[in-house]
Amino acid sequence: MVTKTEETQLNRLENQVDNGGGGAWEYLCLVKKLKVRRPDKVLRHGLSILNDPKKRSALGPDVWTLYEQVSIAAMDCQCLDVAKDCIKVLQKQFPESKRVGRLEGILLEAKGLWAEAEKAYSSLLEDNPLDPVLHKRRVAIAKAQGNFPTAIEWLNKYLETFMADHDAWRELAEIYVSLQMYKQAAFCYEELILSQPTVPLYHLAYADVLYTLGGVDNILLAKKYYASTIDLTGGKNTKALFGICLCSSAIAQLTKGRNKEDKESPELQSLAAAALEKDYKQRAPAKLLLLTSALKSLKTS
Amino acid sequence: MGELKYELSQNAYIKLVLHARKHKTAAVNGVLLGRVSPQNDAVVEIADSVPLFHSHLGLLPNLEISLIMIEEHYSAQGLGIVGYFHANERFDDLELDSIAKNIGNHICRYFPQCAVLLLDNKKLEALPKGKDRSPVMQVSAVFVCIELSNYGVSVSFLAIKRFWL
Repeated sequence: MVTKTEETQLNRLENQVDNGGGGAWEYLCLVKKLKVRRPDKVLRHGLSILNDPKKRSALGPDVWTLYEQVSIAAMDCQCLDVAKDCIKVLQKQFPESKRVGRLEGILLEAKGLWAEAEKAYSSLLEDNPLDPVLHKRRVAIAKAQGNFPTAIEWLNKYLETFMADHDAWRELAEIYVSLQMYKQAAFCYEELILSQPTVPLYHLAYADVLYTLGGVDNILLAKKYYASTIDLTGGKNTKALFGICLCSSAIAQLTKGRNKEDKESPELQSLAAAALEKDYKQRAPAKLLLLTSALKSLKTS
Repeated sequence: MGELKYELSQNAYIKLVLHARKHKTAAVNGVLLGRVSPQNDAVVEIADSVPLFHSHLGLLPNLEISLIMIEEHYSAQGLGIVGYFHANERFDDLELDSIAKNIGNHICRYFPQCAVLLLDNKKLEALPKGKDRSPVMQVSAVFVCIELSNYGVSVSFLAIKRFWL
């Protein structure tokens, strides 16, 4: 999960390196630190460093982490020969290494040899039962085969031990959403909000899931979480502003019959609408008319 | 009932393919816009498309807002939502998942001849390798077209108007 400043910095570096302006090593380090997935760029720039003996020696001991990074990127791009070569180099340097053993397992995955990869990971796990990466690779195997129930089961087991792994909770929530198991996804987001209450992304995702679940209570709660997202992001999050308008309109529709639960003031919706219009005026004035008519249809529907 | 034909315009096709290629590691979706051909009732012209999401496809709020705004924008041009496009996350997955089916069914309620296009990832991967610059009609088979019409009419033919690669 990357903040906006980090993303701009990454894109700037990427542009610089792509256009031959140097800085490949900084770019690769940043990609590794932010854990983003840019396999084609990593492969291209990583190989340009690794294939040049001068640049390679300039890296010193960091060259081995670069080999690891490039091998994973190569597997992501299905350049399995490149990956195999990198792994061979690492094997020569670090024989019997568990980290290299992991890479070999990932290579088996990339070739689609699921059973062999599963076996490799199980044997590695016997020696290292607490290696999170190995557990997660097993989940990845299940997911890659489309076996979602197994993936969910493994991931839940993993989270029983490693409860603080936020990325794993997010992955589980996303799997649930893709299977339309919204209640379970809501639970995952609740865990995330409990452990990191100041991250607006989780509030927003939780509100989205609640809205999708539907029902007056869920939508009222969703509205609260959209409001907290707006609070946490200083009013800049467009999705949350839209969410408020959607919630207000949905609640109005659902409570049309009964008229005295009306403690919801219309102020929040009009404030959100005004904020949206101001934002569009600044960033997309051509679409302002579209926005106002969409908001109007929400209000009247 | 007779055959239904869908004509996919170059613009619509390119936008969807580019959207899928940009987000290679995620499932993506989009809507198709068009209308029943004024000359022939059995032909649906898909004039344009709007790529929608590449994450959290199963969440409602974004979808609702997008559809409201898309409908507003395109009704001014006389086009309506006539279909849905989906590309799966996994390379060899050629099944329409429940999210796609639900959205397709929903669109069907408003436009009975709704088409759901599912991207065939294998053919998409093969696309840049073909060096042919002549009009390539069989590239239309990049989509496995599955129709969800209430009348049980199977899709007969997917043509691409004036497509070139």
